[in-house]
Amino acid sequence: MAAVEIHQFAECITCHAWSPDQSMIAFCPNNTEVHIYKLLADKWEKVHVLYKHDQIISGIDWSVNSNKIVTVSHDRNSYVWSQEASEWVPTLVILRLNRAALCVQWSPKENKFAVGSGAKTVCICYYEQENNWWVSKLIRKKHNSSVTSVAWHPNNVLLATTSTDGKCRVFCTFIKGVDKRDLGEGSSNDLKFGEQIAQLDLSVTWAFGVRWSPSGNTLAYTGHNSMVYFIDDVESSPSAQTLALRDLPLRDILFLSERVVIGVGFDCNPMVFTADETGLWSFVRYLDERKVAPTSSKGSQFSEALGKLYGQSKQSTSNDTVEPSKFRGGAHANCITCIVLLRRSAATTVKRFSTSGLDGKIVIWELDNSIDIQQPGYR
Amino acid sequence: MAEEGFLEVENLEAIITRIEQKSRKIESLLKQSKPVEALKTALEGSPLKTRDERCKSANWIVVHRAMMAIKDVDAMFSSLDPEYYDILMKYLYRGLATGDRPTCDQCLRIHEKLTERAGLGCILRSLADTVNTV
Repeated sequence: MAAVEIHQFAECITCHAWSPDQSMIAFCPNNTEVHIYKLLADKWEKVHVLYKHDQIISGIDWSVNSNKIVTVSHDRNSYVWSQEASEWVPTLVILRLNRAALCVQWSPKENKFAVGSGAKTVCICYYEQENNWWVSKLIRKKHNSSVTSVAWHPNNVLLATTSTDGKCRVFCTFIKGVDKRDLGEGSSNDLKFGEQIAQLDLSVTWAFGVRWSPSGNTLAYTGHNSMVYFIDDVESSPSAQTLALRDLPLRDILFLSERVVIGVGFDCNPMVFTADETGLWSFVRYLDERKVAPTSSKGSQFSEALGKLYGQSKQSTSNDTVEPSKFRGGAHANCITCIVLLRRSAATTVKRFSTSGLDGKIVIWELDNSIDIQQPGYR
Repeated sequence: MAEEGFLEVENLEAIITRIEQKSRKIESLLKQSKPVEALKTALEGSPLKTRDERCKSANWIVVHRAMMAIKDVDAMFSSLDPEYYDILMKYLYRGLATGDRPTCDQCLRIHEKLTERAGLGCILRSLADTVNTV
C-alpha cells in the first residue's frame, strides 16, 4: 500500500515543507500565514503560526543543515525565518520585484536561494555577512513569461527554471565571494552570473515542475499539454525524451533516484515513471488505487469488464467490498500541486515523500523501490 | 524567426500542390473502399507550422472528405495507429467548430471513441497547443 498517512490540515494548501528531522511540517493554508505542525504524542498539533506576509504565500522551503525557513509570497517579498529560543524570527529579503513571487528553493549548500516570479525574472538571494542582510540579484533576461518553478543543480551553481512561455532554461548563478571556482571538470567554470547555458524549447504551452536527478545528469519537467520531458546531459549535448500522458497534466515532479520519477498533478493521483537500462523513460503505474466510479459511468466495454470484475469480487468475499469503495475517491480529492521528498537516515529501499494539493490534504507515501514499482497496476 | 518566414513564402505553393496530390490519392483510396488509409493519408504531413489559412483550409477539406467516409468508427480505430491520435483530435475540434450538423455528428462519434482510447491527455494536447494548429 502506498499512501501511509493522510492529514486534512486545511481547506487548501499552496505549498509545504518539512523540518530537517521531519518532526515538523510547515505549510500555507491558502492565506498569508505559515502554519507549523508538530507530531506530539501521535497527534499533529499546531505549534507555530508565522505571519508577516500580506498576500498568499506561494512558496516555502526549509533548509536541512541551517534550519532556516524561506517563504515567498504574492506580496513580492520574501522572509528568511530563523529559530531563536522557541520563536521564529523573520528577516525581510527585498526581492525588488514588481510582480508576485511564485516559487522558492534553497541551494544545496544553503548559502543561496532562488525565487521565481511573475515578473519574468529569477532572483538569486545570498547573505552578506558585513551588512547582516540578504541581497537579491536578478536574472532579468531571457524569460518571456512567469517563472513557475526553479531547481538547483547539485553543484550549487546551475539553476533550472520553467516558465509559462513554455521553455525550460538553465542558468549559471555563480556569485563572487559566495561560490568558489572549484566545480571540478570543465565547462561551467568560467561562466558569469546570469548566463544562460541551455534553453529547451520542447513544450508548446506552459511548463511546470522542473527537477534535477540526484546526480544532476538528468533534468525533467512537465508541460500543461500532458507531456513530461526528460533531458540528459543538458550542459554538454542535450538529448531529450518526451512522454505523452494519457490523462491530465502534471504540476510537479520528484526524482526518487536516477531512474525513478514521481509526477503529481491534475489527476489527483501520483504517477510513477521509470527509466530502463538504456535510459528510456516510460509510465509505469498510478500510485493510488485507480478511481472506479468515473470510468464505470461511461459505459464503455472496458468499464463493463471492470464492472464485472468488481461485481464478482463483491459476491465472492464480503470483506472485499469495503476496500475498493474506501479508495474510490483516492487519497487526494483535488489537484496535487506540491511534492516533497522525506529524507531518511537509515539505508533502506523504501522511499517516502509527501504531497499536498488544493484539497488541503497532506499525504505521505511510501514506495518500495525494489518491489512496488514493478507491480502491475490499473491502466 | 526570419528563417521561418522565408520558408513559408517559399513553400506555400508547394504545400498547396502537396495537398492537391493528397486529395487525388484519397479519392482513389476511397474508390478502393480503404477509408482508414485515406484518413491516414489526409492526416499525414498536415501543414501545422504555417499561419496561412489557405493551406490550413485546403488540408481541412481533404481531412473532412476522408473523415466523413468513415462508416465504422470501431473498425477505424483497430487499424489507426496511436501516432495519429493527437492530430486527429485537432481536426475533430476544427470540425466541431464548423457547426455543420452532419460534420458535428461524425466528429462527436469519433471523439467519443478517440477519448476512450487516447484519454484526456490527447484533448489537452490539442487544446493547449497554440503553435501547431490545424
